[in-house]
Parts: sequence; structure tokens; C-alpha cells
Amino acid sequence: MQDLKSLHDAILKGDAKTAKATTKAALAAGVEPLKLVQEYMTPAMAEVGRKFECNEYFVPELLLAARAMKAALELIRPLLTASGAQPTGRVAIGTVKGDLHDIGKNLVAAMLEGGGYEVIDLGVNVTPEQFIAAVKEKGVNIVAMSALLTTTMPSMKTTVDALQQAGVRQKVKVLVGGAPITQKYADEIGADGYSESAAGAVSSAKKAVGA
Amino acid sequence: MPIAVYPGLALTGARVRDIVTNPQAQFDAQLALHERFRTPFVLSAMDLSTEAEAFGCAIHSTDGEVPSVTGRLVTNLEQAQKLAVPRPGDRRTAVYLETVRRLRQLPDKPLVIGNCLGPFSLTARLVGVSEAMEMTLTEPDLIHVLLEKSAAFLTAYVRAFKESGADGVFMAEPAAGLLSPRSMSQLSSAYIKQIGAAVADGHFTLILHNCAAKLLHLPAVLETGLKTFHFGAPMDIVAALGQVPADVVLCGNLDPTGVFVQLPPAEITARVTVLLASTAKHRNFVISSGCDIPPTAPLAGLDAFFEAMKSAPP
Repeated sequence: MQDLKSLHDAILKGDAKTAKATTKAALAAGVEPLKLVQEYMTPAMAEVGRKFECNEYFVPELLLAARAMKAALELIRPLLTASGAQPTGRVAIGTVKGDLHDIGKNLVAAMLEGGGYEVIDLGVNVTPEQFIAAVKEKGVNIVAMSALLTTTMPSMKTTVDALQQAGVRQKVKVLVGGAPITQKYADEIGADGYSESAAGAVSSAKKAVGA
Repeated sequence: MPIAVYPGLALTGARVRDIVTNPQAQFDAQLALHERFRTPFVLSAMDLSTEAEAFGCAIHSTDGEVPSVTGRLVTNLEQAQKLAVPRPGDRRTAVYLETVRRLRQLPDKPLVIGNCLGPFSLTARLVGVSEAMEMTLTEPDLIHVLLEKSAAFLTAYVRAFKESGADGVFMAEPAAGLLSPRSMSQLSSAYIKQIGAAVADGHFTLILHNCAAKLLHLPAVLETGLKTFHFGAPMDIVAALGQVPADVVLCGNLDPTGVFVQLPPAEITARVTVLLASTAKHRNFVISSGCDIPPTAPLAGLDAFFEAMKSAPP
């Protein structure tokens, strides 16, 4: 059987074409989809995160690795859904209302997906109502918000309050991040977790849900 | 030398939208701060969307926020090759040039410093910032085509600031701080070096601002050949001062949000005192904010900063 480590290495190198081809071949050969995720893809993204934290990888390398992982996941996800396998968590992520910056949000989404979470990317300029809809309609158990501007930070508190008013606050853990955000601010607005880096978002998510 | 124009809104009652569209409103906001703090310098506002808008990018603007670029003007190599290079004065670049002309007329003759974007950060806005990051590895040819055009425009724009009376220009290159040192060297420093050489005359100062750069980026930053650098909170400024020659000036790096927006005045004073103490033996350090101080920063914070400066040992 082909060396499945080549899937791990393809993700590490940001080679989407090889990642997809290796996954396709492995599935055709009868390898369990969950094995590919748990033993090759998630460890690859964890290694990407480690390299990013150690300044061996930078934003371009992280984004390319995420793209390679996504390419492989596209083949696996339908099989996992059909088998009833559950993701580690289901995350609705977005940059808050009034804010159009997406690079931090994209990095966190990539790391969470690599960490085994199903990520529903709501994009930018996301209203509280859109986050609430994701919780009610998509079974989301984590709401992750990003803001890059001090003028849009208040939308995080507005969203937390809206989740409360909609009666769904207790169903989700709220994670926040972005350049102007601090742990102190996260505590003030009642968020459950904060990470100052994309790579740290996975451990913040795990800690928040008690995993 | 904190980068502060927008906090002047609290003194003039203008909106952010007024500052970025009306040179008189921008002049008034900066003058209000200059008179309050008796700064030896004045600045045009930092606005990272102006140059991309001049190229044709769509922008999103509101009354209370600095505009931001939306969408992607360029998505492939053919579009990059056909993209026309604008001229200084096109669209809102005229606002910043005129603001500098008015600041030049101030009777107490402060140093006048303009603001522009750096070549890689401008290129990133033309193709989409996230997309640009990947393209540095997957489509470097396209990135270099846009870098050439960005550098051509920025050279002309910096010259226009000079002709308008600026003594120097802050060139903001934050997107380059997200790259590896090697990529920063190839995709930012090399082009800034060209721009710097084109505008150098022994009197005019091009100040490279990079609020995302870390200590490991310092060698790549120095390759620009410039002599003045302005860094943000991620930079270990004390270690950086230990690595640069004495004729290279480093500025920074109090977090504009974490310090000027979120801390009470007494803690801001403490942060200033600590930073000055840790850099005391370096004559080539200028204390500053790590980036543009946002419009939401309370004036009390800036008051505390300048009071702490007055009390600091010479």
C-alpha cells in the first residue's frame, strides 16, 4: 500500500494536488477515512501550527497547508458524514459586523479545521443575527469572532448579548481574537476563550469545550 | 513621536470620514493635537486604503472608521500586466498631499511627515491580502508585476509629498511583517530600497513602519538601506537596538490599542517609564506608539504619554 505519510508531508508542504491524489488513492484502497484524518491530517496541521509558533512557517505557508488539507478533506467529509462520525466540534467563525478584515479569521478557521473541527465560515461583516442563525440552524457549539479594529470590537459584546437574548448563549462557547483583543477584554465581554494567535485557537477551543 | 491624527477628532468634532476626505478637517485634527502637546512634528493621517483606491480598488467607508479595501482588483497575471499606474493626486491621494501643504504653512515650522503604504502592502490590497499571502509562493511572477507598479506609483507619491513640503514620509508595510524574512527581503525590502534611493537627497527621510515585524525580520528590514524604522509591539525593541548601528534610528513601540486605548493614564505613564528606562543607553531610540493610534483612544492617554515624556530624564 502506498505510503500514507506522503499525505502528511503534502499537507505540511502545502501541496494540495498531492494531498488530494494521495487521499483519493488511499480511500480507493480501503483506508478508513477517520484514520486518514486522525493519523495523518490532524497531526500534519498540528505540526504546521508548531512551525508557525516557532517562526519556521509564516502566514503564506500556513495558508497553503490549510488549502492542501481542505483539498483532502473535501473527499473525506461526505464519507465521515455518511458513517455518522462526529467532528470534534462545530464552529461558526466570522469577522464581526462593520469589520472587513479576514486574514486572521482565515488562519484560525484553517487551524480549527486541521484540529478536527467542522468550520462554518460566515465571512466578514457578520451580524449577531447571522451568528445566532448558525447556532440555531447548523448545530454550532462554538462561536468564534474576530475583530481587527477598536471601532468594531464592541460588536463582539453585542453578539454575546444577542446570543443571550436569543436563548442560545448556554448552548455555545464563545471564542474571540484579533489584533486589538486581549484576555482582559475577552473576560469583560463574557467570552469563554481567547487566543492571541491562530495556532493557539485550537487549544483555546479544546479548553473552552472541556475537551 | 506617537502616530496620532485621528484622536484629534475629540477636539475638533469631525468624523473619521471628514478627515480622510477633506484636507482642512485633517489639518484641523492634527493642528489641535499639535497645539495641545506642542509636538516638534506634524503628520498627515495614516490611511491604508488611499493608494489602492487610486489604482481602482473598491473601498468600504463609514463615518467612524478609516476606509478599508474590499474585493480584489486583480485576480490573474493578464489583469496585473494591464493594470494602469495612477498618478499622485488621483482620488484621495490629493487629500493627503494638500494636508501636507497646509501643515507646511504652520508658523512654528514643525517637521512635516506624510504617510503612505509600502509596496508589498499595496500589492496585497490589489489582489486581496489573504490571496496575496498564498500567491507569494504560488504566483510570484504576478506579485512581482504588481510590486513593480506599486513601487513606481509610490516613488512618485513620495516625491509628491516632498514637493508638497514634507520633511519625510512614513511608509507603512505591515503585510510584509507576515512573511518569512527571506520573502520580506525579496518582496518588500528590495522595492523599498529602490524607492528610498530614488527619493534620497540627504534631507528628506523615508521612515519604514512595520508594526508586524519581529526581531527575526530585522536583517531583512535593514536591507532597505533606510536609516529610520518604526516598529510595533511584536518587535523586541531593546534587542533590536543592540543589533543596529548607532546611526540607525528605531522608533516604537507602545501598543496603540493595548496601551493607548485600554490602559488608564497611570499605567500608560508606567509603560512609558519602563520603556524609556530599558532603552536609556541608546541615543538612537525615539519612543512612539507601535502603530497609528485609533480614533477611539482617549485623549487622557495621550496626555499621560506626553506628561511622562516631560518628566523623563534627558
